[in-house]
Amino acid sequence: MMTTSHANTMTVKERPVSPLDKQPEKAEKRRDPWGVLLEKVGKNQDREAYRQLFEHFAPQVKYYAISNGIANLAEELVQEVFVSIWRRSCLYDWRKAAASTWIFTIARNQRIDMLRKMQRTSAEMAVETEDLWQIPGENEDEPVTSLHRLMSERRVRESLSHLPEEQITVIAKVYMEHKSHQMVADELDIPLGTVKSRVRLALNKLRVILQDQNV
Amino acid sequence: MTRHHPDSLSLMEYSAGNLSDPHALCIRLHLERCPQCRSRVDTLDSLGAVMMDHQPKVSVADTSFDQLMARIDNTPEPSPEAVARPKVDPLMKLLGQDINDLPWKRQLADVSVLDISDKFPGQNERVVLQKLVSGGKAPAHTHRGDETTIVLQGAFSDQNGVFNQWDFVVLNEEDEHRPVAVGCEDCITLSVLSAPLKLTGTFTRLLNPFLR
Ligand SMILES: [Zn+2]
Repeated sequence: MMTTSHANTMTVKERPVSPLDKQPEKAEKRRDPWGVLLEKVGKNQDREAYRQLFEHFAPQVKYYAISNGIANLAEELVQEVFVSIWRRSCLYDWRKAAASTWIFTIARNQRIDMLRKMQRTSAEMAVETEDLWQIPGENEDEPVTSLHRLMSERRVRESLSHLPEEQITVIAKVYMEHKSHQMVADELDIPLGTVKSRVRLALNKLRVILQDQNV
Repeated sequence: MTRHHPDSLSLMEYSAGNLSDPHALCIRLHLERCPQCRSRVDTLDSLGAVMMDHQPKVSVADTSFDQLMARIDNTPEPSPEAVARPKVDPLMKLLGQDINDLPWKRQLADVSVLDISDKFPGQNERVVLQKLVSGGKAPAHTHRGDETTIVLQGAFSDQNGVFNQWDFVVLNEEDEHRPVAVGCEDCITLSVLSAPLKLTGTFTRLLNPFLR
């Protein structure tokens, strides 16, 4: 396990070209407050920090459940997500992800897992939810990408505020209502191509699409 | 068609948790070996977090936090090993053995297939492993609907280029190709088919696992 200063030094040497990464020495100052709380939970089982995280994120997770069509399981999802946050907090590393991003992936995985258990047929699948949905390498030290990860949430938040509402609506349906692009097109009564182009425009702004060779 | 890497829209569906298990498996296997796409998914996960924050909030029940703490206090903490989770190879876990040792069904001199759809109960897609022996040629064929393929071992080439291990490719009815296995290993691919293959050559009944 690398120390913080170590990882930062390495990031400076091999820093990505993104302009936001030009001042990595300021990364420490930019730490998000939720990440600080999450680390307190991980290191010291700090219950007050945990309660503050709960007050901020539990209402988001509850809405996430409702918008995903499992309103009757909303409180249960909140419980599952927060038990998971408590247990996994020792693995959280602020250099690798903003706390909200880390919590989003837990909420997503728990939502998938809950639906999977509900729909479970007599035959069980050999692979578990996390085997398919947890990004491999997340628990490793990847100093080159760590700062990029840390910055990406801030950058996404800023970029999103400049996106037209019609693009945000489409993205919200994909993320919050687990709708495929086709389902979003049907619901908004617009062609699938329009949905895809709105998403592509948005992802372009968010610089996710840079490496796409085929669009 | 999509070549070598999944397109951003598919990565977004993965980040949002909206893909079927077989499609998620294809992306997951690619991500394991592709830092570039992993970094794109990191950004997309941040987009998910920002969207969640952007939406209305719903108050939880008054008793919710106390209930949570009671549950945490009354359940034994799992061991650190159980929390950290060892790195798993989802394909190995799914198949239970090395892909080369599977009960392959030979369909042509060079081509063997194995339908593993039954490993994904409750899914509508066909999931097929295909093996082209080193140096072997598959008959020309096209694809009905979208076919997502990931190269698990070896490499193949067609008129669009060379596809190496962990490369990702999505083909549809417009993509007629004649893949050839290149390199010294047998080329093994995993494909998720939304509709059966359509053969264009003379071996109409052979490669297609659904026309037996
Ligand atoms: Zn890739």
